Amino acid sequence: MSKIISIHSFRGGTGKSNTTANLAVSMAQRGLRVCVVDTDIQSPGIHVLFQLDPADMGFSLNDFLWGKCEIEQTAREVFSEGSSGAVFLIPSSMQTGDIARVLKFGYDIQLLREGFVHIISALALDVLLIDTHPGLNEETLMSIALSDVLLVILRPDSQDYQGTAVTVEVARQIEVPAMYLLMNKVPDRFDRTETMERAREAFRCPVIGVLPHSDDMMALASDGIFVERYPDHPLSREMAVIAQQILE
Amino acid sequence: MRLSKIHLPGRTGSFILIMGAALVYGLLNAYSNRLLLPSAPFIALRPQVALPFFLGFLCGPWVGFLTGFLGNVIGDVLCDYGVWHFWNWHIANGLYGLIPGLGSRLGLQEIRTLRRFVIMESVVVATNIIAVACAVLADLLWIRIMQLPQSLTSWILPALITNTVLTFVLVPLLLLAARMIVVTVETRITLALSWLMVSIVIITATAVTGAVWNDLDSPAASVRAFYSAGIVTVLVVSAGFLIAVFLAYRITDPITNLQAAARRIEAGEYHPSELALLAARSDEFGQLSGIMQRMAEKIEGRENRLRHQVTELKIEIDRAKQDRDVREIVESDYFKDLRQKAREFRTHSEDERSTTREDDTDEQDESRRL
Repeated sequence: MSKIISIHSFRGGTGKSNTTANLAVSMAQRGLRVCVVDTDIQSPGIHVLFQLDPADMGFSLNDFLWGKCEIEQTAREVFSEGSSGAVFLIPSSMQTGDIARVLKFGYDIQLLREGFVHIISALALDVLLIDTHPGLNEETLMSIALSDVLLVILRPDSQDYQGTAVTVEVARQIEVPAMYLLMNKVPDRFDRTETMERAREAFRCPVIGVLPHSDDMMALASDGIFVERYPDHPLSREMAVIAQQILE
Repeated sequence: MRLSKIHLPGRTGSFILIMGAALVYGLLNAYSNRLLLPSAPFIALRPQVALPFFLGFLCGPWVGFLTGFLGNVIGDVLCDYGVWHFWNWHIANGLYGLIPGLGSRLGLQEIRTLRRFVIMESVVVATNIIAVACAVLADLLWIRIMQLPQSLTSWILPALITNTVLTFVLVPLLLLAARMIVVTVETRITLALSWLMVSIVIITATAVTGAVWNDLDSPAASVRAFYSAGIVTVLVVSAGFLIAVFLAYRITDPITNLQAAARRIEAGEYHPSELALLAARSDEFGQLSGIMQRMAEKIEGRENRLRHQVTELKIEIDRAKQDRDVREIVESDYFKDLRQKAREFRTHSEDERSTTREDDTDEQDESRRL
């Protein structure tokens, strides 16, 4: 039974794209077939993590939505492990014209859904991860509406709290079947269990993980996937646990 | 510049060192009989006596013992006293090196505190007394040359006092040169003050006894003069040393306390009451301690605030604003429409996704088989 998971954060800079990429690879390392869809059209970035050349990207999600191609033509394999584990990526368009068009007309939800259903069967996917755009615009709401699971990422930062609270409540109203919080870039001086408990109380939502502000991860920045390079690092093991919990 | 301690010799080096030192010691013993203390005509002034002490402290009991022992044998041979005639004094001289050598096991490898300096000087004094006592005892039991109590008053006690004062003054200087005494504030103050005292006393005593030297009409009068001068010397040197130690302690004890407090602040184990006594002093140390006390309190306050942030991770959400924002979104027509569609998708998607998936896998399996 395949799952659609949206990964969202109310504000930028929470490490959303990075977490998405790492979760995808972590799942593929366990033999799952995963496709990452970049719907963050205003600031697409996940293709950089998978070291995809923007000039050589071919069709994007936008091309499919505007009927220029089939959904299968937009996906390319960016990682594989063993006989079955793989990560595919459907990039977002980098063209300024495309970006303006999406902002003006938005996506057609029906078409988007058909695309997702189709790509799941075409690539025999176990998981479809949607890297959403920050904030609560129509495309984001659409992604959440189509998802089985919503993962909201936030930093321990007062500016993140208010927006996250609104996001969580809106997602609840849209009746998303499962929702988790992931706290990222948490400084060492915060007690992790305590932080987890407080976030759970404040947002009335299960907290799936508290990830430290990792210098190792920062060093890699957006140049490569951390769990791929350092599979035995404690952070990678934690990422694997989070990946497993999301899928349960 | 930081100077390292002098390099200690190995087995062969030790042998050469012992032979060389013993030869020097013997030669000096043989020829120092001409150098007489004005106040004690029968006693040779023997500054070289510090040599076995020094080597004992520096290289251990065996090097010290052999230097003293062999040196005395050589000295006696050169003076035609015979090799084994005064064997008890060979042993006494050996003890001059042996006891300090054992004393260095009391943590005296490096003297940087007042405590160790006092232990070192105590070992020096005790060694003088024990060595002479052993020689006297051996004479009483086996050799029987001495005539008590005349020998005791005429030359044994004077020799003991002279040697004790000499070693008390010279051994620290040699150890300082060998960097076994590390120059710290404590050792510097103690050394400077005790040396000042000793030099004043010796210069005064020598000047006074020298002035009346020609007026002394008999050996008995000389002995009496020596005693007066000697006893005054010992008393004043002892008092001077105690005063030096006390003064050094008054100055260095607050520094040691401040150092310990600073170390505990660094380790995060400091308790505010630690410096209270010191801060009550009216001198410079009191002021410094007061500053450190306040500094430690401020550091602790800052650390506590930081530590409390762990529990004070407050997630503050303006619920009224949240409700407004949520309502604004969920009450829009777009949202209502979206929610409706999402519901429809979910009711259908289960079967749809699983059936397509099954069909697909079938197809794929088919194609793989082909």
